[in-house]
Amino acid sequence: MITQIRIVWLKELKDALRDKRSVMAAMSYAFFGPLLMAGAFFLLISQLTSEKDVEIDIRGGDYAPALVQHLNNLGIVERSEPWPAGKQPITLDIDASWAEYIATAQPAKVTLTADFSAQKQRADIRRVETAVSSYAQQLGVIRLQMRGIDPNAMRGIDLVKQDTATKGSRAAIMMGSVLVFMLLSVFFSGMNVAIDISAGERERNSLELLLSQPLSALQLVWGKTLAAGSFAIFGGLLSVILIPLIFRYLPLHEIGISVAIAWPMLLLILLTLVPLAFLATAMQLFVSFRAKSFKEAQTYISLVLMVPMLAVFGVEFARLKNQLLYYLPLTGQHQALLDIIKGESIQWLPLGVSALVTLLVSYILIRLIARMLSSEKVVFGL
Amino acid sequence: MIEVQQLRKQFGQLVALDGLTFNAPEGQITGLLGPNGAGKTTCLRTIYGLLKADSGKALIDGFDASEQPLEARRHIGIFPDKFGLYERLTAREQIAYFANLHGLTGAQGDQAVSTALARLDMLAIADRRARGFSQGQRMKVALAQSIVHSPKHLILDEPSRGLDVMSTRILRDLLRELRSQGTSILFSSHVMQEVAALCDQVVVIAAGKVAAQGTTEELCALTGETALEEAFVKIIGTDEGIAA
Repeated sequence: MITQIRIVWLKELKDALRDKRSVMAAMSYAFFGPLLMAGAFFLLISQLTSEKDVEIDIRGGDYAPALVQHLNNLGIVERSEPWPAGKQPITLDIDASWAEYIATAQPAKVTLTADFSAQKQRADIRRVETAVSSYAQQLGVIRLQMRGIDPNAMRGIDLVKQDTATKGSRAAIMMGSVLVFMLLSVFFSGMNVAIDISAGERERNSLELLLSQPLSALQLVWGKTLAAGSFAIFGGLLSVILIPLIFRYLPLHEIGISVAIAWPMLLLILLTLVPLAFLATAMQLFVSFRAKSFKEAQTYISLVLMVPMLAVFGVEFARLKNQLLYYLPLTGQHQALLDIIKGESIQWLPLGVSALVTLLVSYILIRLIARMLSSEKVVFGL
Repeated sequence: MIEVQQLRKQFGQLVALDGLTFNAPEGQITGLLGPNGAGKTTCLRTIYGLLKADSGKALIDGFDASEQPLEARRHIGIFPDKFGLYERLTAREQIAYFANLHGLTGAQGDQAVSTALARLDMLAIADRRARGFSQGQRMKVALAQSIVHSPKHLILDEPSRGLDVMSTRILRDLLRELRSQGTSILFSSHVMQEVAALCDQVVVIAAGKVAAQGTTEELCALTGETALEEAFVKIIGTDEGIAA
């Protein structure tokens, strides 16, 4: 029994490893996926951290050099180039009466001219407004102090903002998408092999002879599942190793995020992915053994791939919270991985149950495929 | 010995096998001769258990492939109707795969593979990958796969398709040699000359039934014709689907 499975397994592995397309497919997802994501994050971080200067027109700056200095300190500077076409100028107009009003402690007149409905300039306008009003506030404080009044009398309420987002939980939101990558890696990496050893076997007309050999359909399916499963696990391993490596080179600390996953945790993630790899492979073999050609199988499998994607993204975006999710295949692994990454305590029982359920579903699928291969209708497409 | 008893098989409305009965004894080459669509392939597939007969049975050394498929398949070598090679494996690896599946592993397996390769004069292509093999070379690999475990029974579905003269000779010599070793060989064909040249016994099937059975001479005597081809046409009542 075991010998026959091993023979099929080793032969399929050898065959698949010589198939550049299969190897590339397994590698590229795990390899280029995280790289792509790192690129996207890098862009996001640089946008969040480096605030560019706002360049505006300042008229009458000579009347109020201190205000202009204040604006410059806040990154609002006099524009040197003309405004590009299609962009409304933002103009700050300081009235010639500035000195006079300041001297008499009256509100000095400053005009901000801009297109307040322009979506793209809204942030810039806002920064100018904030900068001007903060200067006005400083003026007010000084005026009150000069009259011997505590400036705090002006402040009725002190609103204290407390951000409860810890570094870890903010990272979790970001890592949620990374996790989806890790989870799906086992679905993508073994896919090509799964198609090749099922629909491919049929397409190249070798299935009939193979089924006439002294091995049971179940042994055959086990051997093939192990072969494609090996690829899936390999893809999972690559992404589990590569993602943290790549993230180490991202300046995540600049936006207050720390992603440090300890090696034992990575090992745990990998172990969590193993049952999932078998489920993925069993599902793929189940569909593509029904297909008559490689192409047909690819069509079916791309539909089947929607299942894990919808499940994972659905939970991710809908922010579903239900204890049941911890026990089911796929969502169970997803939740466990989320907990691991957030640094929360791992719910071992649900994790174990979902692993067992996943393996059980895979086992049932494998039995079903074996039964399918014992049916002349499926084998000969009658 | 391969025994086929009252096999019946129906695909929807089509009756493919209609009470087929014959034997392929040891040390003999039995030819299954029939026009296209007569049920040859269906009959062979039923013998090695890929198709289930509606009634009747087929026994290989007393084992019914529909009941004890693994036991039955251990005793046969099969050259199927459709054979595909694993393009990325070498000829030697393909043959070794089937040797392994038949329990020949390690040094024993290597030995069996080398013997099969030498027997079919394939040593020159043994370590080349199958991609780019000619039809004749592919046939040889498939043949080697079917005999690598020295089966007591050999079932071949139209084995001479696409073979050149030299390869056909190798095939015939191989079959004669296996016969002399006591193998019972059953092969289907619609090529008259091949059957006439090789077979000890000819089973003519038409429309899923045995139309006639006997040696070439017996069949000719039966119909009063001197050539097998004429006898054959007379037996099945039409010359449709036969190649001379």
